[in-house]
Amino acid sequence: MIRPVLRLSLRWRVAAALGLGSFLITSVLAVATWNLASDYMLRQRLQGATRQAEVNVRLVDESLRSGSDGLTELLTGLTTDPDSTILLFQSGQVVTSGRQIHPDVLPAQLLTLGRDGVPARQRIRADGIPVLAVTQPIDTADGVYVELFPLVQIDRTFRFLSGLLIAGTVLSGLLGVALGWWASRRALRPLTELTGAASRIAGGDLKSRLPMHADPDLAPLAATFNATADALERRVMRDARFAGDVSHELRSPLTTMVNAAAVLRRRQAELPGTSGKALELLTSEVDRFARMVVDLMEITRDDQYGDGDAFEQLDVGDIVRNIAALRLTDSTEVVVDSPSPVVLGDRRRMDRVVGNLLENAERHAGGPVRVAVLHRDGKVRVEVDDAGPGVPEDLRTQVFERFTRGSRAGRRGSDTGSGLGLALVAEHVQRHHGKVWVEDRPGGGARFVVEIPEAQP
Amino acid sequence: MNVSVLLVDDDERIRQALGLALTDEGFTVEEAESGEDALRQLDSAGFDVVLLDLMLPGVDGLDVCRMLRSRGDLPIIIVTARTDTPDVIAGLEAGADDYVTKPLIASELAARIRALLRRRGGGRQNTSLTIEDLEIWPDEGVVHRAGEELYLTRTEFRLLVELAAAEGRIVTREQLLQRVWGYDYYGDTRLLDVHVRRLRMKVERNPDQPAVVLTVRGAGYKIGPPR
Repeated sequence: MIRPVLRLSLRWRVAAALGLGSFLITSVLAVATWNLASDYMLRQRLQGATRQAEVNVRLVDESLRSGSDGLTELLTGLTTDPDSTILLFQSGQVVTSGRQIHPDVLPAQLLTLGRDGVPARQRIRADGIPVLAVTQPIDTADGVYVELFPLVQIDRTFRFLSGLLIAGTVLSGLLGVALGWWASRRALRPLTELTGAASRIAGGDLKSRLPMHADPDLAPLAATFNATADALERRVMRDARFAGDVSHELRSPLTTMVNAAAVLRRRQAELPGTSGKALELLTSEVDRFARMVVDLMEITRDDQYGDGDAFEQLDVGDIVRNIAALRLTDSTEVVVDSPSPVVLGDRRRMDRVVGNLLENAERHAGGPVRVAVLHRDGKVRVEVDDAGPGVPEDLRTQVFERFTRGSRAGRRGSDTGSGLGLALVAEHVQRHHGKVWVEDRPGGGARFVVEIPEAQP
Repeated sequence: MNVSVLLVDDDERIRQALGLALTDEGFTVEEAESGEDALRQLDSAGFDVVLLDLMLPGVDGLDVCRMLRSRGDLPIIIVTARTDTPDVIAGLEAGADDYVTKPLIASELAARIRALLRRRGGGRQNTSLTIEDLEIWPDEGVVHRAGEELYLTRTEFRLLVELAAAEGRIVTREQLLQRVWGYDYYGDTRLLDVHVRRLRMKVERNPDQPAVVLTVRGAGYKIGPPR
């Protein structure tokens, strides 16, 4: 068992690994690049500065040796860059040219080295800008020549370079994560498809299959899955067809039986006593049997031919009112929201749903006391209330299964229905992407509720 | 009213039981075991309605239906295995007026037959309705177009009269199914669709652009304006 904190999905783990790897490689490369480039550029600058200072000091030296007065002009001419400075320490005096810098900012050690006749250089900050200070001894006058070269340009270049490298490293890390995410997604796509197809099959769509893959790694998976699904579909279809065939074959003898029974029932009065009682049993059972076969045919037909539905806009209020007018007494309250709710559905099935719910209430609970058609959050809700004994918690799913009559069977003795009425309701409602359930009615009894998505006008 | 029914089915026991039950309902029933037998009997005697099983040995039930329809407007009810099979549409297209599914029950069948044979009542005495270039005489059961008689089946005629009597108001599908075919509730709308299509073939100048029987989407049908 992995601890939940560490429980990253495979996809994220691949993405993180790729991102980290990419980040590490680019950061090593960036550090190396930085070291090489900065070192090289700085060295170039140092050499250039030193060479120039040597040339300059020679000129100054000559000028001092010849004792001419043009020293100031010479110094001015030597400081070409506005940010550069030349300081000439000569027998206690300081001559400054170029950008004015106070001599105190120079490190004392640097000057001492110059006085001792040793050329030196050092990177310092002078009045806010980075400079390279180069010190040269002046032989003639026992002085020190100091030239400050501005490093603003190279500093800017370094900042730009380092920014670029950091950004590049971060970007490459992120790219690695993205690439890993994408690649693992691609690699896992067959798995996602598999999940989708499997859940569609679990949801009842037996025709769902995986697309065939040319990829040798994936082809066996798809082939195996599809073969399994094929077998499952064949099996389910065969079962459904069997039930369908059975009820189909029963139709002819049933026609004979139902009509012979009708003839007999008409003459029931002629058969008194035991024979009459037996005849009554026979005829009522034949009728029940006929209803059962008809319902069974309807259910197996649903299993077999799913796609031929003719969906149209149906006014549920009208459907309920029509059926109520035909089979309900005035004691049943009929409530229809205004405007009357409309669904997209198959008329025959919707009729059957409402009809079966009413029949169920009549058969098991002494008839419906209220039928309502309501709007509920984008759904059309049909409620059929009865004042019967209600449906116990543990039977509430079961009552919608085929041939489940539960403990209420036999309550009315003579007529228990086909045992398929509520199963048909469930089937038809599911076909309309709706839900059906039973709950307690406020004030006692059961409330059967159907919710179907409302049609968009 | 003594109504004679020709019962065409290849299953002898069904014929017998249904024959007995329909006799109980007050009909005179003759039986035929095949399409050939049925056509022979229809040649020699008149019947009010034919109950025709589509699954017959020999001449197919659909062919019998087509043949009967080409001879006249004798009401035909077909018996099919299931409501959703192509049989239903094929049978209606072949000219059947209505259909029932097995197991068919005599009392329900009797209601269907009576609805089919019901004539339009009402106190119209020799008045005619005029739509476009049609002249409809409800009492006599004839339709004239520009003086020439059109041959409609009884069901087609009743459908046309129901629409015409509404004088341009919308008649819903449910109303039509109830008034013409006698369905209490839930009638098969395919029944109506096929009949409307057949009616249009006969009364419209251009059935693709109907001017007499107009569809009102989502509501039903209405008759075109009188000219």
